[in-house]
Amino acid sequence: MRLSVRGIGIVGAFGTGVESFEKALVEGQVTVGSIEVATGEGVQAVPAYRADTAGLEEFVPKRSLRRVDHYSKLALLGSFLALKDAGMLDSGLSRVGLVIASGYGATATTYAFLDSLISGGDTCASPTHFANSVHNAAAANVAITLGIRGPSLTVSQFDMSVPSALVSARQWLAEGRVDTVLFGAIDEVSELVAYLQHRRRGPRHAPAMAPLDAGAESSIIGEGASFLLLTRDEGAPAYCGIDSVETGNLFGTQLSLPSDALLLLGADGRSELGRRYQDAVPEGAQAACYTPIYGSMPAAAGFDLAAAALALKAGRAFASPAGPGPFVPAPAAVSRICSLRLAGPSEYATIVMSKL
Amino acid sequence: MDTKEKLKQILVKDLNLEEVTPEEISDSAPLFGEGLGLDSLDAVELVVIVQKHFGVEIKDMEEGRKAFQSVDSLAAYIEERKGA
Repeated sequence: MRLSVRGIGIVGAFGTGVESFEKALVEGQVTVGSIEVATGEGVQAVPAYRADTAGLEEFVPKRSLRRVDHYSKLALLGSFLALKDAGMLDSGLSRVGLVIASGYGATATTYAFLDSLISGGDTCASPTHFANSVHNAAAANVAITLGIRGPSLTVSQFDMSVPSALVSARQWLAEGRVDTVLFGAIDEVSELVAYLQHRRRGPRHAPAMAPLDAGAESSIIGEGASFLLLTRDEGAPAYCGIDSVETGNLFGTQLSLPSDALLLLGADGRSELGRRYQDAVPEGAQAACYTPIYGSMPAAAGFDLAAAALALKAGRAFASPAGPGPFVPAPAAVSRICSLRLAGPSEYATIVMSKL
Repeated sequence: MDTKEKLKQILVKDLNLEEVTPEEISDSAPLFGEGLGLDSLDAVELVVIVQKHFGVEIKDMEEGRKAFQSVDSLAAYIEERKGA
């Protein structure tokens, strides 16, 4: 069954909303910020793509957000923007399901809660932190705030979170359990994520991401939310269609990729995965990679889908921000895109999207 | 910094009261309902805050109800039990 993408709600270091995202994709650059983190070598500034959720006040009074953490604010902002983009802000949402994909979850709140538990014991642990630390807290905040009555699911499978969650969303629509799925990908930058990055990378940081340079370690951590409003494709106006979602493991076999589609690579500067992308993509294939616009995070595949949807609606691909690498550059006109995500030693996912 | 001043700063920061500053909180205004507008979940947070920042344990609801009337009453409760 083919899905259609009816709305996009997106926030990241590039700004808030589809226009900001598209502008960044066209310009091919985004300002990278940083996060300070205590390390064994003192306080270090770790480069990071940071997202601002101030735009949420357009939809929700500030006072009612005081118990909502940054992670859930990202989810709420992405949700509202997707509904607004689809013209559904004032619609009844009784037949809407909610699926959220996240690699890390709300790490800032989770570790604040655990820190308070360790340092002060259970009597000094904040109940608000606990409520926000459970993995489906963002989905709960979105469903309660928007009045979504359908099923709600949070999927966490690190780099494969987005394709795995999309399989569930498609299944709900195929079974007729819901008419619409609000589908979101979220990850946040926190001190924990920055500390892990520092441990992995050390104090030297690449000035910019070069994800198609397979040998280079150039990842920069990122955060944001990318929400898509999905329905069954019944001919209504939409950004694009989603033709197929496939996940699996390659055990000594070659990945089968569509020859008529632009390959959108999920490479993000992690050197251990860079080589796998080079090996997986056939020689002479047309490929692009947009991760330097939003950063390295497990949920980045959700941003790939939003970028692909914008490209397919316009019928033209955006150039890779860091250049084409060893691949054939994206063509001017595009009608089919295959988003490719690789993880671990053998995992893969492909999501094929096409122009309506 | 006296207990009332410290308490006001902690209330604003830990309860994320973005629409009010510590200076704007009246010593005698009710913390719940009218006044500062706190609710039942804030009451649970307050128990944690008082123990974490002042080392004072609020053991039952009756004690809490009296202490949580205002900044005045809560500061008095803390002062009375601090170091006890």
